[in-house]
Amino acid sequence: MLYVRILGFVSLLLSLIGGAAAGAAGVKSPDEVFRLHAERTDSGGVKLGWIIAPGHYLYRDRIAAVVNGRPVRIDTEPGESKDDPNFGPTEIYRQSAGAVVAPEPVSAGGRLIVTYQGCAENTLCYPPISKSVDLSTLLVEDAPERDSDPAPPTQVAKEQRQAAGASVPAATVGIQSESATLLGQSLFSTLAAFVGFGILLSLTPCVFPMIPIMSGMLARSGGDLSARRSFILSAAYVLAMAAAYGTLGIFAAWSGENLQAALQTPVAIVSMSTVFALLALSMFGIYELQLPQSWTSRLAAKAGNRGSVGGAVVLGFGSALIVGPCVTPPLAAVLVFVAQTGQVMRGSLALFALGLGMGLPLVAFGVLGAKVLPRSGPWLARVKHIFGFIFIALSIWMISRVASARLVAAAWGALFFAIGSYSILSFVRASRRRLPEFAAVAIGALAIVCGGALIVGAGTATYGLLRPLETVGLITDPANASAYKDGFRVATSEAKLEDAIRAGRMQGRAIMVDFSAEWCTECKLMERNVFSQEAVRQKLREVIPVRVDVTAFDRESKNLMKRFAVVGPPTIVFLNPDGTESQEGRVVGDIGMSGFLSKLETVLR
Amino acid sequence: MNDPISRAQFLRLTALSAFLFVVSSDAWASENEITRPMILNDPETPTGGNPNGDLTIVDFFDYNCPYCKLAAKSLEKIVKTDGNIRLVYRDWPILAETSIIGARLALAAKYQGQYLPVHHALMDIPGYGVSQEQMMEAVRNAGLDLAQLDTDIARHADDIAGLIKRNLNIAQAIGLQGTPGFLIGPYRVNEALNEQGFMRVVADARARQKTK
Repeated sequence: MLYVRILGFVSLLLSLIGGAAAGAAGVKSPDEVFRLHAERTDSGGVKLGWIIAPGHYLYRDRIAAVVNGRPVRIDTEPGESKDDPNFGPTEIYRQSAGAVVAPEPVSAGGRLIVTYQGCAENTLCYPPISKSVDLSTLLVEDAPERDSDPAPPTQVAKEQRQAAGASVPAATVGIQSESATLLGQSLFSTLAAFVGFGILLSLTPCVFPMIPIMSGMLARSGGDLSARRSFILSAAYVLAMAAAYGTLGIFAAWSGENLQAALQTPVAIVSMSTVFALLALSMFGIYELQLPQSWTSRLAAKAGNRGSVGGAVVLGFGSALIVGPCVTPPLAAVLVFVAQTGQVMRGSLALFALGLGMGLPLVAFGVLGAKVLPRSGPWLARVKHIFGFIFIALSIWMISRVASARLVAAAWGALFFAIGSYSILSFVRASRRRLPEFAAVAIGALAIVCGGALIVGAGTATYGLLRPLETVGLITDPANASAYKDGFRVATSEAKLEDAIRAGRMQGRAIMVDFSAEWCTECKLMERNVFSQEAVRQKLREVIPVRVDVTAFDRESKNLMKRFAVVGPPTIVFLNPDGTESQEGRVVGDIGMSGFLSKLETVLR
Repeated sequence: MNDPISRAQFLRLTALSAFLFVVSSDAWASENEITRPMILNDPETPTGGNPNGDLTIVDFFDYNCPYCKLAAKSLEKIVKTDGNIRLVYRDWPILAETSIIGARLALAAKYQGQYLPVHHALMDIPGYGVSQEQMMEAVRNAGLDLAQLDTDIARHADDIAGLIKRNLNIAQAIGLQGTPGFLIGPYRVNEALNEQGFMRVVADARARQKTK
């Protein structure tokens, strides 16, 4: 949950310093201040126009254009001359600006990257802004960050004076790229981090389904399996798995979309939960989970008796996709990271490293396991049953994000009850009764008590009993808050938000804009711990609460986030009745009930 | 026994991968976590004013930013007259290519204890499109060991790049839109202030620190 950690730190930070941002709320983003549009000239060139907010200006000599990677001439109108002792003579544009790129360079189509730079009068200067203009549609969007050349060496001592002077770059286009290099981490440390991350992931129960798959593969290849052979097979399996993740990384980097959102939609969650329930049933021997006969026979035919490397590769690739859903939250974090960096090669390598890390313990298992491969026996059945319980737990854990708390609590209760009964039953049946058996029965008894309490709790709707579960993260419950969803207006587009702002203006009430998403666990925690509390609900009557749901993470929700410069949910922005953002700042991250109440207090004052 | 990998080897392998994990997670943490102490007390970041001051101001600036230069003059005056303010210099080169060069020069001068002279020399060049030559000229006149500066730029290239990277990350994380930016106690100010402006925010920041 890397991104959560990073986001967590940023939130912490923002809550620390953002308490009351004097003047910060008044700072507009460069895109609000300088609006660029493009149109064709009669002769086939491209005419660029800027609308500049009052109190801001653009520098004439900072406007540059690049078509398909090559700098091109851009003709600008003479600007207002600003002769300031601090600046020297310079030409600037206020209110609006225009520039033309001649027809020749833009006739072939492609992309026109426009770079420009400006300031707010007497207060601040913005970094260069790069926009990409699609030459066929003339749509303007953010320019992708360029990979950069290494910075020119800087030498100051007198003898190197000439050399240093010669390397002065003339263009201004490459600035962001320089920052990008600085931001980039060394490849090795990234890869090492991802391998480590993968090893950590392999310790989660999610990887367990791979063990039967792989041991099945090794077992199928016959009794006299040399350690060398099993090493090759398991290595092939793991490499293929890593390759599957690497491929996923390529897609993520290309799409640049929030896969996390896609993987955490209710539909996806319910289907994953179902898959785990089905897996669990198979573990209890309700049915044998096997590939279709035709597949198995084809695999077997290919593999012969020895278990082919090709077969291992196919299995590895397939299992990565099977296990994928379970490791969704961390995987999604990695994918988002990759998608955001937008570097295909690096992202792909990082995910490959992740898969490798996840597979390393499997290789160890494969090699050592040649001796300890599961031979049939009662203990194997028990291990399978334990996996079954774990799968059911995973299934419940997943469904808890979309199901009601009561249902989830009942399910947990039933599971604990079942575990307890199971272990006591096996104790009764056991032929030997030694320490492990007694330990098991003790745990079983505890599980029954726990399960009983949960079921009672679910029945009487006493959520207090669920608290322990919540604190360990076993349930994240939207249902408790869903009753008050009506209290929130839900806005998924700027138009809807404008409606709310209009309503606020008419009623003279402040507006609370809560950025939330289905996949955001912290938001869910806030809904339950803060918004559904009576004291908060009382106080919320004084404002118009609007919930911006960014679950879909589509263009509309991105625009909304951009408008308020929101990094991610949960973020709460307060608007004055006139629609401007409150000077008292915003809430980023879960700040608890008392924190929220005092914040609301200051906003309303 | 056809087992080429012994248990001992396996254990060693496990230990190695565990070590790798710890090391890499450490590297990961240092690259991505932004904490308040890191902003205020990064030992590699140049500081000025009163090291034991009761209020810390963090200045995010660019050597191509005319308003930074104006504001810095007011700020230095306030820091001097107040006497109880600690000032943290965060080079934030975002405006032009030469900004990065300026930041490198100043931060390299730190290794011979001459950050402030170079910083002031660069801040005294007016305008927004300062050329590399102008910067070099200013640094040459700042009265430091130039050969040493060249050595330090080369020797500490990674440290300097790392610090600039951290500054970029921090500025982004706290949501600064452009230069100059200031953290004054709990307040974030993303605009150039004059002396009165700084005085007012400093007073507010102190008042707020007391109530906390």
